[in-house]
Amino acid sequence: MAALRQEELLELAESAVNSALRKGADEAEAAVFQESTTSAGIERGQIVKTSRTLDLGLGMRTIISKAVGFAYTNVLSSRTAVENTVRKSLGLARASKPYKDWKSLPAGKIPSSPNNTYDKRIANLESEDLVEIASIMLDAAARTDGRANPVEGGANASCSFFVVANSNGVLGSDIGTIVGCSLATVGNDADDVTPVCFDFDFERTYAIDPERVGKEAVRLAVSALKAKTIETKTNQVIFTQTALQELLYFTLINAVRADSVQRNQSVFKGKIGDMIASEHVTIYDDGLLDGGLRSGKFDAEGVPHQKTLIIEKGVLRNFIYDNYTAKKEGRESTGNATRAGYFSTPTVEATNFRITGEERSPERLIEEVDDGLIVHLLQGAHSSNPASGDFSVVAAPAWKIEKGERTFAAKGVMLVGNVFQMLKNVSALANNERKLDLLVAPWVLVENVKVIGK
Amino acid sequence: MKDILGKAVDAGVKSGAEYVEARAQRLFMTMLALKEDRVEAAKQGIEEGVAVRVLVKGSWGFASIGAPNAGTLTKAASSSCKMAKAASSRLKDPVRLAQAKAVQDRIVLKPRKNPSEISVEDKIETTLAASNSVMSYDERIRNCTIDYLDLSGTSFLMNNLGTYIEQDKLYVWTRITATALEAGVFTFGREEIGSTAGYEIFDVESPVKVSEGVARRAVEQLKAKHPRGGVFPVVLGPRVVGTFAHEAFGHLAEADLTLSGSVLDGKLGKKIASEMVTLYDDGTIAGAFGSFKYDDEGIPAQKTQLIRDGVVVGLMHNLETAYKFNVKPTGNARAEDFRVEPIIRMRNTFMELKDYQFEELVEGIESGYYLKSIRGGQANVDGTFQVGIEEAYEIVNGEVRKPLRDVSISGNTLETLHKVDAVGKDLELSPGRCGKGQTAFICDGGPHIRVKEMLVGGST
Repeated sequence: MAALRQEELLELAESAVNSALRKGADEAEAAVFQESTTSAGIERGQIVKTSRTLDLGLGMRTIISKAVGFAYTNVLSSRTAVENTVRKSLGLARASKPYKDWKSLPAGKIPSSPNNTYDKRIANLESEDLVEIASIMLDAAARTDGRANPVEGGANASCSFFVVANSNGVLGSDIGTIVGCSLATVGNDADDVTPVCFDFDFERTYAIDPERVGKEAVRLAVSALKAKTIETKTNQVIFTQTALQELLYFTLINAVRADSVQRNQSVFKGKIGDMIASEHVTIYDDGLLDGGLRSGKFDAEGVPHQKTLIIEKGVLRNFIYDNYTAKKEGRESTGNATRAGYFSTPTVEATNFRITGEERSPERLIEEVDDGLIVHLLQGAHSSNPASGDFSVVAAPAWKIEKGERTFAAKGVMLVGNVFQMLKNVSALANNERKLDLLVAPWVLVENVKVIGK
Repeated sequence: MKDILGKAVDAGVKSGAEYVEARAQRLFMTMLALKEDRVEAAKQGIEEGVAVRVLVKGSWGFASIGAPNAGTLTKAASSSCKMAKAASSRLKDPVRLAQAKAVQDRIVLKPRKNPSEISVEDKIETTLAASNSVMSYDERIRNCTIDYLDLSGTSFLMNNLGTYIEQDKLYVWTRITATALEAGVFTFGREEIGSTAGYEIFDVESPVKVSEGVARRAVEQLKAKHPRGGVFPVVLGPRVVGTFAHEAFGHLAEADLTLSGSVLDGKLGKKIASEMVTLYDDGTIAGAFGSFKYDDEGIPAQKTQLIRDGVVVGLMHNLETAYKFNVKPTGNARAEDFRVEPIIRMRNTFMELKDYQFEELVEGIESGYYLKSIRGGQANVDGTFQVGIEEAYEIVNGEVRKPLRDVSISGNTLETLHKVDAVGKDLELSPGRCGKGQTAFICDGGPHIRVKEMLVGGST
């Protein structure tokens, strides 16, 4: 299958919607995704693989008497295959059960365009260019210290088209690019093996710094050597972005999704306007964030992206909604429907979940810690209790902070607590904002975290 | 399909590849998602796709395109060779592959109940009945999520060494999750049913019955207390042993991760566990969720012994790592679909049973825990692990007593394996899905075992 042009994708989506209406759908929606990705992969310190993939398909949602059907295909070469998908979707809607709260698909609205979400230079990158990016990263790693080995990583670039059309007036197309590099390292000195350390850089425009990623991944792994056990006590803990992302994804981000709230799975139900975090905490969900990894004109249902205030100085202000959950409460979608691809139905998800930073540098933040830890990665966060927010996770790599200085790597450390309690104990944030998938955040300092050592 | 793949393989060879493999798939899926009594999504899909992987001057090139087309695939094969050459320029340690016997085979599955012949209405009724069984169990049950998937079709594989395999694929899977709420306490229950045999699995493991068990577990935990944290003797149930075998040990024994510096690096032939421990990764168990006939490099699946009486005797390999270790490939190369290349994955991973009765495992423990089922787990290549427990009980004076909740265990895998001092006689496998960049269907399990000392984390 060769890549299709934007006009062809639009035409395909529109004609599929019309075909569904002709065949008896009350409402219909077509979503077309086309993504091409080029990458260079690192294994055991060398670039051993390159790849180029093209994935293109159509997902068709139809509604008959409030019952929803969905069918998808990646065979778009013939009209018949597309028609069969439309027919299958209708068959499923007829076989399925009605949603009593179903109102309608979203209506068409004119979206705004976020800045810096597409860069032609990324779309034109060849695998040779990605080999070069990966090489710069590896060379920088090798120059930095011989006691850490790159284990895996690589560079990749992708360009994606998303087109959505529905029978209620939505018709839109968006194009985006993303380029990134990452490197995982393990420190190894005699019998001393460190946990995996990691650094990364992902951007929507061609402005990544593979040299810094290589250096930083090695620097972390080397400083994780000679780890010591620490005692069990209640400490101050700085969470870096990689640790925050793991901890918050299954808990806080889950709890502000309207579907969780409506299904009684969120501790925030009925708490809009309540103080649920310390006054240091202000969070937006911003689908229009300049250069945000999840930024785009509209969401997976064609609803324009927006900036939604979630927590303002500790006060819970809003939840995030897709079309269905919003209409169920008689309100407007916040543009938070997402899909993993043409093969997915929409679900509620954050776009760029942005924790607003404060003035101080990360060095100053460390200086504010008298006795504590700085944690880079967590293991086991996905086994947290998403509803209650209780967690019990391994912190590795993590470093001890004593009297404002990072002193040594700590091993065998577990953190135990509750995410929602932790939000109330946030005492300071740094100004080193980074983007990691849907999280945009600086380092965050939390008081009174139970640290279990030996 | 054979023609299209043949042309791609020829193009790869002409462009200078040492090894070329072309894969294709034609799969049909049905997926259902139920939330409480609502069918949130009824989905069906067709996925056809082809991919080609080449090895040129010791470097890999991979291209995946959507629906099969001879012209596009042939071009992709040539351009993959060009990409691989570009990457090979800096290679110090070129990739080489183990010798493998060429295979020509056609694997036809004949399930008693083919999911593609069961109507979607039937599948909706089955999952709705399961959902009703959860929701009506107790008024404290708040939520029920049921996910259902079936997949059937054929995969095709050809390489330049003479292998051509057409292999039917069949998976039937469902997952039932329940939550309960009382006085601000949220609890969970979860269970999966999975098979490669056919839809008849639901006659053996009735979704309605399994759902009741899930609901009961969630409700029982409401009255459970948090455990005291610290180091204790523990008895682990088959689910927990399975997760430990898979997450904590298994990943370390995937040869690609071993080579990347996992703590098993250099440990082949060495004793790393108590004599009680023997462990397998087995792709040949009929109907098990991690079983298949050939892997995605055309190597027959086999039963691979990883630990024998405490000694590491094997790792899990693909063609590339088998060459490095100078052993035969073990049939562990799996690709989730045509979009990605095959990597080393587990199949059905389990600890071998011994001869202890459950009562014998518990009787000597004055103060400890019985950890029965898991919520999730994760491990690091340095050999540390963390497993979240869903269902747990305290053991006092040799007896299993009150339920506990939000328990987790963590530690060092090899230290823990040395502390296994008794292994039970009741082997049980559970289906699951493993993520390593790609998703693979697997099973894990074992008998009940006792571990002398384990770090148990509680929330108080």
